[in-house]
Amino acid sequence: MRGFWPVFKRELFAYFVTPLAYVLILAFVLWQGLHFYLLVRSFAGQAEASIDQGPVQAFFGSDVFYYMSLILICPAITMRLFAEERRSGTIEPLLTAPVSTSAVVLAKFGAALVVYAAMWAPTLLYLVIMRRGGEIDWRVASVSYLGVLGIGAQYLAIGAMMSAISRSQIVAFVLSSILILGFFLLGLGEFVLDEGIGRQVCSYVSVWSQMGELSHGVVDSRRLVFDGTLVALPLFVTVRTIDSWRWG
Amino acid sequence: MSGGRTGPAAISVDRLTKRYGVHAAVDGISFEVARGEVVGFLGPNGAGKSTTLRILAGFLGATSGRCFVDGHDVAEDPYAARRATGYMPEAVPLYGEMRVREYLRFRAELKGVARGKRVEHVGRAMELARVVEVADTLIEHLSKGFKQRVGLADALVARPPLLILDEPTAGMDPNQIREVRALIKELGEEHTVFLSTHILSEVEASCSRVLVIAKGRLVGEGAPGELASRVRRAPHLVAILNGARKAWKPIVDALPRARLLAEKVLDGDIDRLEIELAEHDEEGAPLDHGQLVETFAEELVNAQVGIRELSIASPSLEELFASLTQEPAQAKPREHGGDA
Repeated sequence: MRGFWPVFKRELFAYFVTPLAYVLILAFVLWQGLHFYLLVRSFAGQAEASIDQGPVQAFFGSDVFYYMSLILICPAITMRLFAEERRSGTIEPLLTAPVSTSAVVLAKFGAALVVYAAMWAPTLLYLVIMRRGGEIDWRVASVSYLGVLGIGAQYLAIGAMMSAISRSQIVAFVLSSILILGFFLLGLGEFVLDEGIGRQVCSYVSVWSQMGELSHGVVDSRRLVFDGTLVALPLFVTVRTIDSWRWG
Repeated sequence: MSGGRTGPAAISVDRLTKRYGVHAAVDGISFEVARGEVVGFLGPNGAGKSTTLRILAGFLGATSGRCFVDGHDVAEDPYAARRATGYMPEAVPLYGEMRVREYLRFRAELKGVARGKRVEHVGRAMELARVVEVADTLIEHLSKGFKQRVGLADALVARPPLLILDEPTAGMDPNQIREVRALIKELGEEHTVFLSTHILSEVEASCSRVLVIAKGRLVGEGAPGELASRVRRAPHLVAILNGARKAWKPIVDALPRARLLAEKVLDGDIDRLEIELAEHDEEGAPLDHGQLVETFAEELVNAQVGIRELSIASPSLEELFASLTQEPAQAKPREHGGDA
């Protein structure tokens, strides 16, 4: 892991000295604020709350608000990672320093993940607010946040890969949004298709049911393996892509 | 292949080739740079200079052939090779959002400079590259010349034994160029320096040896002066004379083995002459050009021709360059002509 720390620190620095991170966090917080407001109104209007469809479940992925933000925000975080370095040429001094490609990729991915986590941090406040109106199962809440991190990590890994594949940030953004959206829609096949192999596959890749399970406190090891694969595979492709530039 | 050598060369390149599709950017070049040398890598744009330097720096892979930096195979032991190299890429890409000092600290850490030594290393690099005055300026606000020097500081910061500089003075003003050339000389005392350029006066000013590359092949090698003496073109005598043509023409014709190349009327009776002088006389003994000019001047004075200017122009590296790089292209048609 030669060069992980300096690249990780620089990458975080680059997010927070340029407006990008603030713009993304602001957009995200506004979006989630709207989401939370609508939830509160909706639950306030209900006479009886069911035990397993409370506001925590609603906030973590039982409506489309949650996913829409991820599909757009994750590619926006990762679009500059490699595309910008290639455009400006800074990739050359970076890769001619005694660093390993995998360290560079992990460092950049790690920094993106930290920005993503920072983006979610303000939503902890919603839990505090919800607690004033009732009980909160903190285990369920922490498992839900784990899911948020897991799915985010997948989407960020896909975004990092697309940023390495394309030369322009915009192209990276569009391609990763399309790919992530494709995965998301594939998962929805679970609710559309009839019983059979197709439906099983869709259910396996479905982030919707993954978040559904997690927000009820259920952790399925198959999901964890799937998450791990979807993080590792794009990152592996990213490393190979960068190594292939040397032979271009 | 470097195994048997005691004390490896700073750079050793063996039949290096880099192809892009069918086009060979670098075509089987081999050379060595000894430790402590300051070597210029000279060639027109697109000759394969940057490609060669990028391969040496570990940014590009070679199609075939091997490169050793400080005894480390660039392809097989990339970390050791890169650690031994301070590389300054051509356009000097930098992170504009960082301040100069921040950037150099980041680079020092990236290059494995120990935490306790970073401040000292960064300070020294900034002093050498003369960027101390902009240490706390954002890189994006710097002029081209300063950015260039930050790139140079970056190459220096880990104190590597070898510096590879791709066009180190590109985009600088004449004062900055002079400073950087002086700096390169200074650096040559501690580091081996391998620099590329397409400006010929640059290698004359800073290098002890020159490699000339054209179309991916090495076409010449030697000390700047030594290379110049290899140019077949003889020295020229330039004279600006004030007098009638019939007065000076016989004197010019009487010069041994000389040839009047050009004459141009500057103003009235004032002419500018360019005379090619031979290197050797009929017997093959070297001609004393100083003596020749002395006699020439004396006879002109006797013939009452005014001398406005008299000088011998040695072939410049520019001419050397033109003759070396055009040779392969010109030689072939001539051979064909001879056959037919």
